[in-house]
Amino acid sequence: MTTTEIPATARTRQPDPPGKRPRTRRREGAAWVFLSPWVLGAAVLTLLPMAVSLYLSFTDYDLFNPPRWVGLRNYTQMFTEDPRYWRSVGATLTYVVIAVPLQLGLALVVALALKSMRRGRGFYRSAFYAPSLLGASMSIALVWRAVFNDGGTVDNLLGTGGWVNRPGWALFAVALLTVWQFGAPMVIFLAGLQQIPAELYEAASVDGASRRRQFLSITVPMLSPVIFFNLVLQTIQAFQVFTPAFAVSAGKGGPADSTLFYTLYLYDRGFVASHMGYASAMAWVLLLAIGAVTAVLFRTSRNWVFYASEGDR
Amino acid sequence: MPGNGTRKSWRPRLAAATAMLVSCSVLAGCSGPDGVSGTGKVVLRYTWWGNPDRAARTQEAVDLFEKKHPGVEVQTSFSGYDAYKQKLATQAAGGDAPDAMQLDYRMIDQYASGGVLLDFAEQRATLDTGEFDAGLLATGKVDGKQYAIPQARGTETVVYDVTRWKKAGVDLPREGWTWSEWADAMRELAERTGMPGATDPGQSEDAFEVWLRGRGKALYTEDRRLGFTVDDLTRWWTFTDGLRREGAVSPAEQTTQLDGTVENTPLGRGKAISDSNWDAPSSGFVALVPDGITLAPMPYGEDGTPGQYFKPSMFMGVAADTSHPKESVQLVDFMLNDPEAAKILGATRGIPVNETLREEIAPGLKDFDRTVFDYQASLEGKLNAPPQAPPSGDSALQTTFQRDYDQVSYERMSPREAAEDYVTEAKAELRS
Repeated sequence: MTTTEIPATARTRQPDPPGKRPRTRRREGAAWVFLSPWVLGAAVLTLLPMAVSLYLSFTDYDLFNPPRWVGLRNYTQMFTEDPRYWRSVGATLTYVVIAVPLQLGLALVVALALKSMRRGRGFYRSAFYAPSLLGASMSIALVWRAVFNDGGTVDNLLGTGGWVNRPGWALFAVALLTVWQFGAPMVIFLAGLQQIPAELYEAASVDGASRRRQFLSITVPMLSPVIFFNLVLQTIQAFQVFTPAFAVSAGKGGPADSTLFYTLYLYDRGFVASHMGYASAMAWVLLLAIGAVTAVLFRTSRNWVFYASEGDR
Repeated sequence: MPGNGTRKSWRPRLAAATAMLVSCSVLAGCSGPDGVSGTGKVVLRYTWWGNPDRAARTQEAVDLFEKKHPGVEVQTSFSGYDAYKQKLATQAAGGDAPDAMQLDYRMIDQYASGGVLLDFAEQRATLDTGEFDAGLLATGKVDGKQYAIPQARGTETVVYDVTRWKKAGVDLPREGWTWSEWADAMRELAERTGMPGATDPGQSEDAFEVWLRGRGKALYTEDRRLGFTVDDLTRWWTFTDGLRREGAVSPAEQTTQLDGTVENTPLGRGKAISDSNWDAPSSGFVALVPDGITLAPMPYGEDGTPGQYFKPSMFMGVAADTSHPKESVQLVDFMLNDPEAAKILGATRGIPVNETLREEIAPGLKDFDRTVFDYQASLEGKLNAPPQAPPSGDSALQTTFQRDYDQVSYERMSPREAAEDYVTEAKAELRS
């Protein structure tokens, strides 16, 4: 607290103890050297492309010829003249609403089961986590397509025909692929569950609370910050889903645009139809939409997320 | 800046390491500067679309090229047409187009005007075009410059499972049959075999073009506008949708899986008796249809106007920014003009455009190559002239066409609604 008594301007002029100043500076230099890959990466691979994409969203750019400034035309076209755009918005929202709760629900159920397990927990944890490592890959998505295609495994077992060829079912097949990758939220749930003090449950059972009661009155509130964290993360990811739909529908978002997710249509506009400006505009609208949804989640979280430390205040 | 010993020694090393990292990530695979391999060979990338049959023969030809040019290594890659189209566009946009690439008629205008392709005039001495038909050669020109060299000639065809068709006791397709005769045959086939007669042609812009030309119209006018109306497209889709409802052509669940490979067509999956395709790629069906396939001409217009035409089936181009223009053009020259290569390649990309080679290899053609050759010979002089190269926007419209028809075949839109959607988007696409 002594430093606060020295005026800011005076502080910089204050001579350091002999030998100390060069070392600090050297350390600072070393820090920058070690940070430089990240700083360079962030600037060159994130900030610069974002700035370029914002500029492009106001242009007509076909990738080959120089961009042509068109003002807000891409945005107005998107909202007023493009029925396929709205179909992509509809498909994405449907997907988010189906996939996220299913995935989180499954992750929580498996985490609860693993928590009460005495032996082999490590094995099962790895086994359930594995799909999250594999699932994002193109190859698994292609396998998925074969499994749910007509003549595929699901068709043979259930006799339901191919799921990926039916507009009403294809989206569900893609959602299942995501749900199957519940490993990451599961591990986080498991960690959260282990943080809940055992005394709470002991006290509750002494008072005669049922398992259900304990779950609703202890587990859920104590776990709510973790649930919230997973919800935000998975929702953001779900909005940006691309690979499964791309592979399952062979890049077309079919059948009949039923899996034409936002990012897939964005890719289509940018790289298939060569309308980079339009695709950039779509990307910025997506960014704003995800920002808005996240903000809403944070706003509502005040009503249901409970932090243990709140009791101390 | 003065510093102690340790500082002096690590700094240059770190800088060098960073520089290596950066250059490695820029020059993919760390193969050294400008596509030269570790062994000092010039490395060329050559990409194309096609089927496994074409892959085997292309690799054989490329191996021969490497033997004849010991200083050059060729890395080839291929995929189905739809995937190829997207990948190439992405690479070209990123300034990373392959040194030598196979191109479609529909790509040339866009790629040439976008500066992706090398003007072959710059390497005139390396490529001999003396044996090429001047008219065909001109199809690879944009604004008077030769950006692409036609590789072969192709035409559309009805490819069918000849044994099944005969067994069904339906009259075999004949030259000059009309679309209504074709439709009757499909209905009969479906009735007698319990299997759709053909892939639903409603999704195919190519099939639509043949039908349209049979009515004296065209996809595009000479000034690069849409050559047909909502009424025309509505009529076509009503026709194909009707056949689908009757079960005469493939159901939506099958049609939606089409992706430009023969493996994913109903005929290739053993779920239909015929397909419409270009003649050369139909060779892929040989391995998929055990009883054998035959080619027949596409149906004509009701008044006997042929809608199909001979088109340069594909082209070869070289990237404008390749580090090895000479070697790349050498590869193109080899693929098009070398007699041994011609023998290996046969008709896998269509009949060669080099006229001397065409005559030279003709007697030696066998199996499916022979079928393609005879099929083209049977149509010689009977077809109308090809249209000019499609405008840039067409490449995207092909996919839109398929998607809009999906809405029809899954009964989510009427043919007229979908046609209106398509024409609106096509007009916007051609304007921009």
